[in-house]
Amino acid sequence: MTMLSDRQQLSYIASQAADARLNVELETEGMTLNIGPQHPATHGTLRIICRLDGEQVVWAEPSAGYMHRGYEKLTEVRTFPQVTTLINRIDWLGSFANEVPFILAAEKLMEIEAPPRAQVIRTILFELSRIANVSLFLGDLGVQMGAITPVFLAFRDREYVLNLIEGATGGRFHPNFDRIGGLKDDLPKGWIDETRQVMIKLQQFCDTIEDLLFGNEIFQSRMRGIGIIPADIAKSYGLSGANLRASGIDYDLRRDQELPMAWDKADWRVWTHPDGDSFARCWVRLQETRESCKIVEQLLDQIPAGPIMTKVPRIIKVPEGEAWVATENPLGEMGYYVVSKGDLGPFRVKIRSASFNNISVVPWALKGVYVPDVITILASLYFILGDIDR
Amino acid sequence: MGLVDRGRMPAPLTKLFNMSRSYSLWVYQWGLACCAIEMGAAFGSPRYDVMRLGVIPLPASPRQADFVCISGTVTDKMAPAIKRLWEQMPEPKYSISMGSCANCGGPYWDSYSVTKGVDQIIPIDVYVPGCPPRPEALLEGVVLLQQRIKNEDMAAKWRGDEYRNNRREYEVDDGGYRTHGVSGDPIPSNVPPREPIVVGGGPIE
Amino acid sequence: MAPLSDDQATEESDTDTLALPGDGLREGIVDDLRERIGDALIDAHISPNDDLWVRVTTDGWKDTGTALKAAGFDHFCFLSAIDWMPSPYGTGEDDPDAEPKEPDTEIVQGVTGGETRLQVFARLTDLDRHVGITIKADVPDDEPLVDTWTESFAGANWHERECHEMFGIGFVGHPDLRNMYLPTDFEGHPLRKDFPLLARMVKPWPGIVDVEPMPEFDEEEKNDDQKEDESTEGESS
Repeated sequence: MTMLSDRQQLSYIASQAADARLNVELETEGMTLNIGPQHPATHGTLRIICRLDGEQVVWAEPSAGYMHRGYEKLTEVRTFPQVTTLINRIDWLGSFANEVPFILAAEKLMEIEAPPRAQVIRTILFELSRIANVSLFLGDLGVQMGAITPVFLAFRDREYVLNLIEGATGGRFHPNFDRIGGLKDDLPKGWIDETRQVMIKLQQFCDTIEDLLFGNEIFQSRMRGIGIIPADIAKSYGLSGANLRASGIDYDLRRDQELPMAWDKADWRVWTHPDGDSFARCWVRLQETRESCKIVEQLLDQIPAGPIMTKVPRIIKVPEGEAWVATENPLGEMGYYVVSKGDLGPFRVKIRSASFNNISVVPWALKGVYVPDVITILASLYFILGDIDR
Repeated sequence: MGLVDRGRMPAPLTKLFNMSRSYSLWVYQWGLACCAIEMGAAFGSPRYDVMRLGVIPLPASPRQADFVCISGTVTDKMAPAIKRLWEQMPEPKYSISMGSCANCGGPYWDSYSVTKGVDQIIPIDVYVPGCPPRPEALLEGVVLLQQRIKNEDMAAKWRGDEYRNNRREYEVDDGGYRTHGVSGDPIPSNVPPREPIVVGGGPIE
Repeated sequence: MAPLSDDQATEESDTDTLALPGDGLREGIVDDLRERIGDALIDAHISPNDDLWVRVTTDGWKDTGTALKAAGFDHFCFLSAIDWMPSPYGTGEDDPDAEPKEPDTEIVQGVTGGETRLQVFARLTDLDRHVGITIKADVPDDEPLVDTWTESFAGANWHERECHEMFGIGFVGHPDLRNMYLPTDFEGHPLRKDFPLLARMVKPWPGIVDVEPMPEFDEEEKNDDQKEDESTEGESS
């Protein structure tokens, strides 16, 4: 436990002392506080059981499962194209990004690759869904601290992105647009120009949020130095995405692995932050949204001509084998371990969702913090219930 | 309201009360899954602006809400909590079931952990189909609910009877006192049971 | 600790992408692991330029985790299990008029083989070398128990709880194997292949039925749209 910050060490000692005090007369009594399952602070149906001593959390345990829908079992009774309909709904804010790793895994087993045009459009839609996802996070961040304005801004500007996704795919929320071997349709006319304009709007949104929230003194004092997760803890809990990079680890699956996608065609950078506190996690996400806008802007100029579908058989049977593909989704590393037996449907799909690992650190991170900080730590870890429970 | 307590209400007063109620609805937002975000877009975003319909999307507590919007997948683990919070809501209370999952299980119709329809747990007034429904569809559901409230027989609701419509075709003649739309009469046999409304029409299976 | 200003806080990340791992690196990893755990390593499989699998003995499962952590694989990705028995129920979407097929009962394990019906598998990543490894181990049929990884990887806690709930595999030394998702009184282990989905049993598959007839195309149009046609028809079947 040498990596503990001073603050956490102190609070740990205090919580130990609080435990000892429980038996002494005229001292505060321990109390169990149940937050959730339906509670405004948990955005969704996560239930957190906290054992408090006064205002300090002595012990906390999230209780998941209120959104468990049995994806892994259901994929076993669906065909490969049907599975994408289902897995759209895991991380419901960045739906398109959920489809990509599964489709890539199936393509890997079939030893085919989408045409270059489809790869670039996939990457653009992937980044758009990241923007749609994280912009809501940035707006929601204010609500957690009692500021209502940012969420209105987020919902307003997010609609532009949803319009784009709807224009290209036909679905606001769950596009179900990715196919094994390419994409369902080509881009509509005028979409590229519109996207360019929306990207300018979204970058302005990021600037506004940075001014409104990140420069705000209340925000800083409630975020800086709170909920510090050191790098070795982050790694051993398997944190990923912005939560990992906020602990100072420079790792991004978009850059650090070879996939038939188009991220390497754009010039962008991976942001890290050495602090590992709540502020760092939010700040890294803000920068990522900006980088996503940049990626989209650059890729819009680089869409090659050509088909959007490669030759695939009428009835898709995926050859026998096992494949693991993970991508850097809005919430973190999302991967599918697909086992096929040569049938119409997969034999087993292990879904590695980012929030499950990101939230498993909560019992550790909440130990010794104060009750108001519980909300900010949870908000900054950023989870989506469907992504935890699947 | 002594008149309501006694179970009789003159028509103009019913109309006034129903109109007041239908344009000051406090909603309890029960966001569960994907639909919660579309509900948030409908209730919380400047683009759709639900307040212009007279719906106040603020209460964080079911104890001060007029209707609950259940949006998203209801799991067997969640079902008891829904039942409990529904019981905490004061009468008169209404409910909107938003999205395929809450309506019937949706894409998880064969799952081992999903409740196939929230109407197994609580009575539903308006179903909004879609996966997820667009915010406009939810707003239509709200408007349909308001129409339903406007047509409601308040006294019957007060006595705890089933929803009763005071439209003309259900009138009964009990001689003397009543004029068009006076409520409080025993429910005649030709009143259909509480029928839910579906946005976009269509049968419920 | 004093908060850093944003200018100080931002580290310049490596703009040069590190060399992607080659098969040479993967072979080196297998050799290194063999040195660390010896005979516990049963089999290794390298998919060229793609991925790496190893299979270890049940007894060596815990040591493998510790050894790999020492070898640099300190990012815990996931832990789960596979039930290799073919499902006795099928997908429930066979043609209702056709003769019922003889259910397949042969248990065939996947990459790196195996001897038992249930296998646990886990994945670890080396964030510096940008390489991942999948580790598999058999779970004895008569007594489904393996050692816990929670001592090496704190994140394994929840994954093992999930695995226990879904497959009924016990993890020796795990602090708290409560149900993760399902109510405590839930019976059965859903991800085992012999767990039936009751909704599919009570409402049998009607066969491939076109609820609405497809609009008819001209022959020429059909040829033009063939590519798109293929993809959509593949789904419906």
